[in-house]
Amino acid sequence: MANVTARPALSRVGAGRFTRQERLAYTMLAPVFGTILVIVTYPFLLAVVQSVQDAAGREFVGASNYANALANPLLYEALGATGTYAALVMPTEIVLGLGLALLVHRVVRSTGVRALLFVLATIPLVLPPIAVGVIARLIYAPGYGVLNHLLIVTGIVRDEINWLGQPTTAMPAVASVDIWQWTPFVYLVLFSGLLTVPREEIEAAQVDGASGWQQFWHIELNYLRPLVLLIVFFRLADVLRVFDHVFVLTGGGPGNTTQLLSLYLYRIEFKYFDSGQAAALAVMVLVAVSIAYSLVTRALPVERR
Amino acid sequence: MRRSRSWRAVLATPVFAVIAILYAFPLYWLLATSLKSKAELYQTTLTLFPEAPTLQPYVSVLVERGFWVLLRNSVVVCGLSVLVALVLGLLITYPITRLEVSPRVRVGILNWALSLRFLPPIAIVVPYFAVVRTLGLYDQPQALIFIYSLFNLPFTIWMLKGFLSEIPREIEEAAFTDGASRWTAFRLVLLPLAWPGLFAAAVIVFTFTWSEFLFALILTSTPNAQTFPVGVQGLVTQFEVIWNDMAAAGTIALALPLVLMILARRYVVAGLTFGVVREK
Repeated sequence: MANVTARPALSRVGAGRFTRQERLAYTMLAPVFGTILVIVTYPFLLAVVQSVQDAAGREFVGASNYANALANPLLYEALGATGTYAALVMPTEIVLGLGLALLVHRVVRSTGVRALLFVLATIPLVLPPIAVGVIARLIYAPGYGVLNHLLIVTGIVRDEINWLGQPTTAMPAVASVDIWQWTPFVYLVLFSGLLTVPREEIEAAQVDGASGWQQFWHIELNYLRPLVLLIVFFRLADVLRVFDHVFVLTGGGPGNTTQLLSLYLYRIEFKYFDSGQAAALAVMVLVAVSIAYSLVTRALPVERR
Repeated sequence: MRRSRSWRAVLATPVFAVIAILYAFPLYWLLATSLKSKAELYQTTLTLFPEAPTLQPYVSVLVERGFWVLLRNSVVVCGLSVLVALVLGLLITYPITRLEVSPRVRVGILNWALSLRFLPPIAIVVPYFAVVRTLGLYDQPQALIFIYSLFNLPFTIWMLKGFLSEIPREIEEAAFTDGASRWTAFRLVLLPLAWPGLFAAAVIVFTFTWSEFLFALILTSTPNAQTFPVGVQGLVTQFEVIWNDMAAAGTIALALPLVLMILARRYVVAGLTFGVVREK
């Protein structure tokens, strides 16, 4: 009884609480945000619906698409390939990028050269992955590939190596493209992190006779740690979306050695036309990513104000 | 002290030289290949320098293969996506940076935008494919514009939020006391001040959409809506690869981002890291 009488009073208080500015803000936000929310949410719901129907979209099949998706051994090969790719790419990029950032920070003093390196390092980040794939193709491909040519001319190898065609070299070749394109990103982020280290702390350490290594380990690393975390999260998200350069380099082959998760999903939907299984996979990926995101989001050092 | 620095410099020089070669050579090789004639490609020995540089591969790609249509599609799709993303981005960032809204709304929107960054497109493309087909937008540029502006909104929101919140509110308030309406103040005071930021966001969103391949591959099938990267891909995966044409197409695809990047170089990293990294 008390609740019923309290309700109208509460809502009046609620309406009166909005200032003119707030009302303007919400009239701007509501339609845009509402539309976007529908646009983003609807396909997810659709994927859920698709995932419990047969490929023709007529019959309800329960969880069988999920069962099929999980029973497919190719899924585990794809997950394995994605893991291998991440294991090759991420540590290499972080170690090389960190090493380079430290090297430049300690050796290059001129602000002009630093600025130039900044611009140069930005270049790979904006190149279309498809174009980078083309470049890699011109380097690794049999016949015209220049890497084989250089190796033979210098006498390092005698016969052509089929870089993209054999399982042992295809994955490193594909990963090298990622490393080429994204190590500069790690460098840029960590270098800018090094610039935030207060000079007094470094000078105090040097007065105490700290070695370069101690200086890094005890001082600089503290300032870099949140950035390394950021890099790990962003790059992990990127590994899940890697598609373009692998698609043009190997198409997932030879066999399924470079068939990363994104290429696998593509194949299920657009080569096998099994939209039920593809939707089930999509739902599982989205749920897994959302859970992972909600776990790590607080640790992301972004400024949310 | 000085001694250790010179020792480092000696060590650093070959490292920088190797890195320079690792980055310059692949780009050079792309350009060099794109300037070779067909005859030179079929010589038995590989030539590291084009013997008789020719622009024929570019003519072949753009005119004979008709890729200029894809180039036009790319420019139209990217341009309109940028426009839509900026307008939506402003409609969202203006209220949360310039008006009194509860911090919870503000943080909620920013978090939501950030979370979109982590969604793998391939998982989203499956349901979108169905939606686009039902709406009759398959192989239409509208579908790409729609999706590109949506998926670049997170970047746009975070970049615009950064730029808008750096402009002091007092400047606008001064305009209000002079009798300006909110719209006038936005148009005549805020917009000119925010212009460099808007421009940077536009350039970056343009570059990202220019590079996008997966959605374009799946949602288009003919030159009616295909974008340039889809065309490039066609040259790479066809049965017999024509190296110089492929290289010419690749060069065109990366030329535009390269030029645009020079204009917005200070903001690229800030954009990619959601404002965590700012150039000093």
